[in-house]
Amino acid sequence: MSKKYVGKDVLKVDAQDKVTGEAQYPSDLKFEDYLHVKIKRATYPHAILRDLDVSKAKQVEGVVDILTEKDYPDLNKFGLIIKDQPVLIKVGEKMRFMGDALAIIIAETEEAALKARDKIEVEVEKLEVMSNPQRALEKDAPTIHNDIGDLCTNYIDPDVGKQNILMDHHLEKGDVDKGFEEADFIVENEYQTQHIDQLPIQNEAGYALYDESNDVIKIWAASQWLHDTQADVAQAMNLPKEKVRIIQTAIGGAFGKKEDVSVHLHLALAARHTKRPVKLVYTREESMISQSKRHPLTIKAKTGVTNDGYLTAWEVKVIGDAGAYASSSPAVVHKGMYHCTGPYNVQNVRGDSYAVYTNNTYGGAMRGFGTTQMAFAYESQIDIIAHKLDMDPAQFRYQNAYDIGSTTPNGQKLGKSVNLKRTIESATDLAQWEGEISE
Amino acid sequence: MKISLTVNGEKRALDVKPETRLLDLIRDDLGLTGTKEGCGKGECGACTVIMNNKVVASCLVLAAQADGAEIKTIEGLGGKDKLHPLQQAFIEKGAVQCGFCIPGMIMSSKKLLDENINPSEEDIKRGLSGNICRCTGYVKIVDAVKEAAHKIKSGGEENV
Repeated sequence: MSKKYVGKDVLKVDAQDKVTGEAQYPSDLKFEDYLHVKIKRATYPHAILRDLDVSKAKQVEGVVDILTEKDYPDLNKFGLIIKDQPVLIKVGEKMRFMGDALAIIIAETEEAALKARDKIEVEVEKLEVMSNPQRALEKDAPTIHNDIGDLCTNYIDPDVGKQNILMDHHLEKGDVDKGFEEADFIVENEYQTQHIDQLPIQNEAGYALYDESNDVIKIWAASQWLHDTQADVAQAMNLPKEKVRIIQTAIGGAFGKKEDVSVHLHLALAARHTKRPVKLVYTREESMISQSKRHPLTIKAKTGVTNDGYLTAWEVKVIGDAGAYASSSPAVVHKGMYHCTGPYNVQNVRGDSYAVYTNNTYGGAMRGFGTTQMAFAYESQIDIIAHKLDMDPAQFRYQNAYDIGSTTPNGQKLGKSVNLKRTIESATDLAQWEGEISE
Repeated sequence: MKISLTVNGEKRALDVKPETRLLDLIRDDLGLTGTKEGCGKGECGACTVIMNNKVVASCLVLAAQADGAEIKTIEGLGGKDKLHPLQQAFIEKGAVQCGFCIPGMIMSSKKLLDENINPSEEDIKRGLSGNICRCTGYVKIVDAVKEAAHKIKSGGEENV
């Protein structure tokens, strides 16, 4: 291994600009004669938009224009993996969570934009709000997305309603039924995690500019998937990719939250419409309401154990609250499931995971991508079992720990760099753990 | 309404609206965008500046309240030609990740070291308790403040 950098302090190339305040995050950029953009969002988490009247709002002094779906009826939906999120909600169609955009307000000042936003009149027909995925899985639950294809496998429990399941996964390793037969006892528990906001200190923000000379829209915004965002914005606006440029600014934290499109599409539309620079900065509330969260997972774990403290079988059922739109849910929820045993050897594993649409703010990427929630479940399960066995929990972990040659629930054989046992040895040493650890 | 104040040693006279916050005055009217807005509610500390020798969340101070005040922002601390020991220490100790909280962190640290050049780890933690770093780099930030205190002590007043 190269020793040029490993084990040495390396100064970060961008640190100096950041300690002097010179680094330019999106809202620090300076454009001449720019316009302020604000978004009118949903007024109810699950409702049909019956009427949207922007006429009074347009009268507010300083308002340049207000854009709705009527102005752009040909926009396509967007999304990281599945394109299911509308750019603007159409009259007669549904708003599915409080972050859905109804109108783009463009004004000379921020005050005018905010005043106009308050004057937009919205009429809705309220529908049942499903804030709990358990309700969304019932057979009589209303369907949140009527136009989404069936991504369900044939493993789905027949008692469950499929209409709000975005995607499911099934995992099978070894012979789980035999594994449970070999167990001396079985421990079953249900774990529940909650929404968590990634909360980067810099809220979503950006500027956009339309260059008439070459028909290119330029967007300055902090983004985690620069090229995916470019492609998504372009497809939503029916443009070739080269007509959209995303220019990365300094990014004030993201932790997964800035993987999704946020300000980009609304800025692009406003810039092309007005042919002036436009600026959109989310407030913290807006960021929390309209951008992704860590998924709440409901995890049912069933573990077979022998009296001498070995794991014979592990079964999980995972229900992930995807929220109103798919975002990274198809990947996050099942990734959580594939980590169901943690770093512990289990020959027989079975799992089912459902990513379920609800009317909550959508779940997306956040540090760990589903594995953090699952760690809460399996480590709790391990501690509970160790307690039942009256065994030192460090020893219980150690004797079940992954080593070279172990296989993960999805069948990957670990060939190198498996340091869990050494980690437990070091951790117990450093903690001056009282128990003795042995094979 | 017309106000006058001193920002980073320079006298400024401005016409501000009643609802203008000190943060808006600093960022929009004066163009000093080193001071950041993270929450607008005095929770995160990204907008921390020093006003009349006190650390304030500039999002919670109206511009009108700063009439006659002396304000110091990150731009007043040191530029790339002559970094303040705190800025130098933050770079050397790897205390900067995304960087968005750093101007506020450094201003709170400045106030702390102005009052106590021998801070204990607890003093540093208390001094920075109003500043949130979501990259969770607190260990290195505390190291950087210790290092800055060391630099200032060994370099004398001219460094500050």
